[in-house]
Amino acid sequence: MSNSIIIGQYVPGDSWIHRLDPRIKIVIIFCFVVFVFFANTALSYGWLTLFAIATAASTKIKARFIAKGLTPVWFLIIFTFVLHLIVTREGTVLFEVFTFPIYSGALIQGFSISLRFFLLILVTSLLTLTTTPIEITDAIESLLHPLKKIKFPVHELALMMSISLRFIPTLMQETEKISKAQASRGVDFKTGPLKDRIQAVVPLLVPLFVSAFKRAEDLAMAMEARGYRGGEGRSKLRELVIRKQDIIALGLFAFVIVVLFLLRS
Amino acid sequence: MGKISALQLSYGAIFVCLMAIGANIVIWFPFLAIPIGGVSVPLSLQTFFAILAGLMLGKKLGLLSMTAYLLTGLAGVPVFAQMQAGLFVLFDYTGGFLLSFLVVAYVTGWLSERLIPFTLSKGFFIATVGVLVNYLIGVHYMFIAMNTWLGLTISYSTTWISMTPFFIKDIFVALIAAVLMCKIVNRIPKQIRLNTH
Repeated sequence: MSNSIIIGQYVPGDSWIHRLDPRIKIVIIFCFVVFVFFANTALSYGWLTLFAIATAASTKIKARFIAKGLTPVWFLIIFTFVLHLIVTREGTVLFEVFTFPIYSGALIQGFSISLRFFLLILVTSLLTLTTTPIEITDAIESLLHPLKKIKFPVHELALMMSISLRFIPTLMQETEKISKAQASRGVDFKTGPLKDRIQAVVPLLVPLFVSAFKRAEDLAMAMEARGYRGGEGRSKLRELVIRKQDIIALGLFAFVIVVLFLLRS
Repeated sequence: MGKISALQLSYGAIFVCLMAIGANIVIWFPFLAIPIGGVSVPLSLQTFFAILAGLMLGKKLGLLSMTAYLLTGLAGVPVFAQMQAGLFVLFDYTGGFLLSFLVVAYVTGWLSERLIPFTLSKGFFIATVGVLVNYLIGVHYMFIAMNTWLGLTISYSTTWISMTPFFIKDIFVALIAAVLMCKIVNRIPKQIRLNTH
């Protein structure tokens, strides 16, 4: 489990979506999230669905992986749909389910809201499916760069994220060790009143803190020994460059949005 | 904001990891799924660590650390509860709780910088304020999310009532944060706090 954590949901691949500049991907997805709410006709919804599915297909990621990323939200999508069927009472009665009337307005509204939700989730998950967390971190640092003017520590934020990527698996293993160590001492927390169980958290957390803080101090020492002096004048291992394909992607997306506005009423 | 030292940076990063572990603590300690009113509520220590981040790191570094946590999760690393990740968590009706950790860390940090020296009763006060901020933002976000983009009409009071079991649990857990903080307050290196005297 620990090894898969730092790559997150990333599925390696070599599609043109994978190779796009992560900044461009983030910008496009943020715009998409906003523009989804502008769709209000069947045609405009259809156009956005076409865009989302075409993009998903061009990542060449197996549908199985994409569906796996959607698992936690299927419930929400279906729940929204069903709730609309029950609550909304507009339009004509289409048919009855166990003497419960289903209205045409409910069907349309439930479907469009579920579809909008599905589109949002599909497109945003494409970002994390085709981009490694490290790339996204670099992109965030670059996109937030203007905030440096108001003294927001952008570089430090990005570095903090990179460091935590490195340490999340380590500390998770540590937690696993602590839980096994406690179990081997025969500690039983499974029974007993609520108060005892909550209090039992403290002896579990103390070793976790000790190891976490020790790691933080070792790391700080190592950084200082190597002459870390903040972001000023620091060079980068990975440089982000905007290439021709990124401009083309932006152009295509602009076209999608223009058509969307033509299709809405 | 003053210059951030390597030590402050690593402490901030460690709190991102602790938040990730706290969100999924039931994976390692299954007994922490607590039955409240017939439903098994998995205990999450996110609020606990967010409050602790404020208490230990102070308002600025605490806020920075929570921002890093949120962005790490949005970048696709499964650091949120139930090993979730990705941008969609913000559309979900529980997204407000994640956003509120930024404010929780800032507010608890701000209070702890003013209420020195640290005592248990002050710790209880700060922790309770932390949980209140967490729920004020989280529940309002939930209410707005349900009634706008999720398109579910739900009354204001129902939103609060549905969150009550979690609220009780989090108050308990926050008080433990205060107790724990009391035990370790003198062992934290003084240099990790930014701009405090």
